Amino acid sequence: MQARLEITLKPELEDAEGLALQKKVKDVFGIELDAVRCVRILTFDAELTEAECILARDRIFCNPVSQEASFEPLALDFDGCIWVGFRPGVRDNAGATAMEALSDVLGRSFGPEDTVYTSRRYCIKGKGLTEKLMDRIAGELLANDIIQQWQVFTKESWDVKEGVGLILPKVRLNHEPEVTTIPIDSDATLQAVSQARNLALNPNDVPVIRRYFLNGQTLALRREKGLEQPTDIEIEYIAQGRSDHCNHNTFRGLFRYRDLETGETEVIDNLFKTCIQNPTLKMQKEKDWVVSVLWDNAGAARFDDHWNYVITGETHNSPSNMEAYGGAITGIVGVYRDPLGTGKGARLIMGSYGFCVGELDYDGPLKPRLHPRRILDGVVEGVRDGGNKSGVPTPFGQVTFHSGYMGKCLVFVTALGIMPKAVAGAPGHEKTTSPGEHIIMCGGRVGKDGIHGVTASSETFSAHTPAGHVQIGDPYTQKKMHDFLLEARDAGLIAFITDNGGGGLSSSIGESARFAGGCTVALDQVPLKYEGLDQWEIWVSESQERMTVSVKPEHLEAFMALSEKHAVESTVIGTYTDTGYLEITWKGKTVAWIHMDLLEEGFPQWEFDCEWIPPKLRGLYEPVIGAPSDYNGVLKTLLARPNIASKEWIVRQYDHEVQANSVIKPLVGRERDIPSDAAVIRPVLDSERGIAFTQTLLPTYSQIDAGAMTAAVIDEAVRRLLAVGGGLSEMGGVDNFCWPDIQYHPEKNPDGRFKAAQLVRSCKALQAMCEAYQIPLLSGKDSMYVDGHLQGPFGETRKVSGLETLQFSATAMVENVWLCQSMDVKNPGDRLYLLGETANELGGSEYYEWMGYVGLHVPEVDPEAFLPLYQALEKAMKMALVNSAHAVARGGLGVHLALVAMAGCRGLNVDLGPVKIRGDIPVEREDILLFSESCGRMLVTVSREKEKAFQELFDGLPCACIGEVLENDILRICGRQGKELVHTCMADLKQSFKKPFGDRI
Amino acid sequence: MTRQVKVLVLTGYGLNCDMETAHAFKMAGAAPERVHINSLITGDVRLEDYQILVFGGGFSWGDDHGAGVVQAVRIMTGLGDRIRHFIAEGNLVMGICNGFQTLVNTGLLPGFDGDYTRREVALLHNDCGNFRDQWVDLSVNQESPCVFTKGMDFLPLPVRHGEGKFYAAPEVIHRLEVSGQVVLRYAGRDGSPAQGAFPLNPNGAVNDIAGICDPTGRVFGLMPHPEAFTHFTHHPDWTRLKAEGRILQEKDLPGLNIFRNAVAFFKK
Repeated sequence: MQARLEITLKPELEDAEGLALQKKVKDVFGIELDAVRCVRILTFDAELTEAECILARDRIFCNPVSQEASFEPLALDFDGCIWVGFRPGVRDNAGATAMEALSDVLGRSFGPEDTVYTSRRYCIKGKGLTEKLMDRIAGELLANDIIQQWQVFTKESWDVKEGVGLILPKVRLNHEPEVTTIPIDSDATLQAVSQARNLALNPNDVPVIRRYFLNGQTLALRREKGLEQPTDIEIEYIAQGRSDHCNHNTFRGLFRYRDLETGETEVIDNLFKTCIQNPTLKMQKEKDWVVSVLWDNAGAARFDDHWNYVITGETHNSPSNMEAYGGAITGIVGVYRDPLGTGKGARLIMGSYGFCVGELDYDGPLKPRLHPRRILDGVVEGVRDGGNKSGVPTPFGQVTFHSGYMGKCLVFVTALGIMPKAVAGAPGHEKTTSPGEHIIMCGGRVGKDGIHGVTASSETFSAHTPAGHVQIGDPYTQKKMHDFLLEARDAGLIAFITDNGGGGLSSSIGESARFAGGCTVALDQVPLKYEGLDQWEIWVSESQERMTVSVKPEHLEAFMALSEKHAVESTVIGTYTDTGYLEITWKGKTVAWIHMDLLEEGFPQWEFDCEWIPPKLRGLYEPVIGAPSDYNGVLKTLLARPNIASKEWIVRQYDHEVQANSVIKPLVGRERDIPSDAAVIRPVLDSERGIAFTQTLLPTYSQIDAGAMTAAVIDEAVRRLLAVGGGLSEMGGVDNFCWPDIQYHPEKNPDGRFKAAQLVRSCKALQAMCEAYQIPLLSGKDSMYVDGHLQGPFGETRKVSGLETLQFSATAMVENVWLCQSMDVKNPGDRLYLLGETANELGGSEYYEWMGYVGLHVPEVDPEAFLPLYQALEKAMKMALVNSAHAVARGGLGVHLALVAMAGCRGLNVDLGPVKIRGDIPVEREDILLFSESCGRMLVTVSREKEKAFQELFDGLPCACIGEVLENDILRICGRQGKELVHTCMADLKQSFKKPFGDRI
Repeated sequence: MTRQVKVLVLTGYGLNCDMETAHAFKMAGAAPERVHINSLITGDVRLEDYQILVFGGGFSWGDDHGAGVVQAVRIMTGLGDRIRHFIAEGNLVMGICNGFQTLVNTGLLPGFDGDYTRREVALLHNDCGNFRDQWVDLSVNQESPCVFTKGMDFLPLPVRHGEGKFYAAPEVIHRLEVSGQVVLRYAGRDGSPAQGAFPLNPNGAVNDIAGICDPTGRVFGLMPHPEAFTHFTHHPDWTRLKAEGRILQEKDLPGLNIFRNAVAFFKK
């Protein structure tokens, strides 16, 4: 039967969700509503009797203490009512668990047709609630039309008997799956097919593909298999394998670099190989702690004698830009499958986030699909639900605002896991597939999800077409699978494991079959969410929460039994072979047959022209500024800038302590409200060993030089790790590049050559810094095309490109967590030291950005000069000589003095006189000293008893005692000529720091 | 040597604090095992072989229909009688966070008049409207029969939940108060009641209630996470305490002492 259950809180209880909507309506539309009450709706489309429905209501869905529920529409009073539900085919996590609960209570299982759909209606009281306003509330606050549908009701249009009606967003495809052949009689024909099917084949690849299929020998062999012209599955498979996403064609490209000032030229054949792979492999040879890099889903490094940790970082930009919550939750849950699919499987131990969005208060003429405010709310919530429900702590993250990210937002997600050094007597980080082993798909089922990514967004919807291209991650299903697979791993049942991400089965099986030397896949065995998918769709679908596992025949029974215990669906869908071919069958008939080596060879390299125009030639200059007279005002203004101000409301939504591995938390200090330099976790509970983790991002420096940006990002990461007690000797890095399109096009991308040159400079700096600091790149990813075409006020579109951005994540080992340190100043009387030199380097700084300038003198990194200082600090930390340590970064010395003081809730008496200066800074320009963002600097406090030992370590190094910690709460900074520049109390500083986002909790 | 106390920590279906909870019991001298809910329901593992049953933290069944609701249904359908028998035999049951939410939805708490089937209290969405991770200070009701908090008067612990607002009808609250079943209350750093003030009381719980027990004191549920304070470096102020020379030794860790009390109960 079909039934609709409405559930709401008892009237005497406050409705937190309703209040939140009320507040949003006020913030966004400036309209004061009187009240909002929410009604949760479950629509049953299942074989249930009336008695069973009532039992389900009373036993499961209605809490007698706090809720009331009815199968008739609840008689809540309203002036207007908005109903919001999913579109067909969108993952309804709550609907799925409702079916599980029904099955439990009724003691019987249900068929695939039996479904529960969840939706909500909002009963709103308030004046002037027109249908038009409600439509806007629905479309701009409550729902995203890509995945949701809505209806609005007024008092007059509401039918008290029927309510919202029975809306069943069931997928009905009414389609008989069919394999079609693709004509390849000419390059033009195949190119046309590529366009028609949204394959995005590179024109240079087309002749290679044709050559393969037209080869006489291949043709003869294909005929034996009943094939001739390529099938749609085969062409889709090749297109997936050749995509920039899977194959990293950009980074593997040929770069012709030219400096327009000097005329010097250079050709770099394969940026990835030259700047990332070769240096890292060289370091791996020299460092026994680098266990496994650059081939698996994540890199592995030694934790101790029994454990290795693994790390990887991903982005999920385009989907998050379309549907922020769905994109972000899919991103975090997706990156959590990478450690699980590394070696024979790693247990997740932490995650982190990085969000780059447009300015929250943007009210200019451009119309992004989703306003930055909505994007940020959505991605914050998506990573929250994905991370928290995975049981993985999120102890670090960052948020960056810049107008360039309005074209496309960036969502970085990073994951760390830990795996035993030995699994069932063999190295845990090794895996392979062998002929005869079963190919097993575990976890979720396959639907039309993520096929061809976002290109499908332009298609029109009908009431029953699945809105599959934007997905919603399901951490619950994945957590069950995670627990199951780790138990299977420890029982020695897993030979090979990898995740199904981009490209789905085509990529996970295609890549894993290379180890065995072939495979045969029975596509008709793949469990589907609904009937009617074409074969090629099953093969490339990116439906989430799935892993591909290779299991030896003798382990199959035990594997399947364990799978059942954990309530995880696992299905044998094929066998690995050594035929040299990837073969796909459908009901016994071969529908694809491709040589394993095809994707490995023969395809032409992508090529890029790069033109570097140095900043001066681009017309950049240092602005003409006179020193301010009110430094208190400047300092407070900078603290309140969105990129510096407190984001506590985000941090606290993320469980950063689950697994009880937390050592240094994301917020530190007496009032636990100032962001930490880095997080430290202690992943093995009976060990005192830890991992320090941080991530850095300084995109504004790219406006001057992406090479300098890259160097500064890596230097800051090193200092942040040092600050919490991380060691220099085993630091690992993860590079996540997010770059605008670098392929030159005279109309569509006229500055492509410059952006390509920026990428080259960034990669070269990455190589230089990693070599200087001896940081192997354990993992990394690139995401190109950070561009958007936004609509203007008169229907015109304008291209908005993001800044050239590198997020660098870094890890360091902590031998004993008891020696870790936090950045807050501690005891009155402690001496305050500034390590490193300050130079006139305000280019790209927060100070200049506030004034609307870019500048020219971007901070430079000199690892040779900085390293001795870092080594001395590392020693001081190990000898427990310091009471606090902190990296001076964005905002400069002034901002960071304020941060360490606010964290300690202690005053500081600071004298800029002893500050070590590189180059020349005029005495009247103390603003340069206070706000320059020179690299290589740290703020450290030392107790008086330990001062002598501390000074000895820094003998001959640029290190200056610049003040001391006070009992009171006044930050006082005096200039080089003794003049008091800053004199302000902690309460005022904290007020500035917290005000911008203070109304968010 | 006395036999080790055996502890069953439930796992599976989205639960997630099982490893550290088991570890805390190990530190307290017990023999913990992590057991999948289904292994207990099918009888592969027998509840009678244990003395302490723990419903730990996590997001059971995704918590989409009210936190702990679906787990409560599964537990009472498959194990209701066995758990009630387990309690009657004098054993201990503990529910932490999602486990507490589950205990109140099964009716195992508050267990008035020995009836372990009635839903009398609820844990609602936090008043602040969001999931929240923060440390809270808790005052312990020393009049309570709760065996887990014996000899304790004050403890700091982290809370990490979106649905932790303790709520019940006034007469139920009154009864809990009078019977000493209110065990933990959100408080200020000096131990005085939070009186509903955010963020001392992080979720708007009625009477600042953070944890309750049944009339026997052997069934205990709490929103904060004691298993997340079993190491000095868990404390948010540990670097500061260390700089001030106030290092907490393992015997002084309040989170761990809750588990020690549970184990000690069987060693009398």
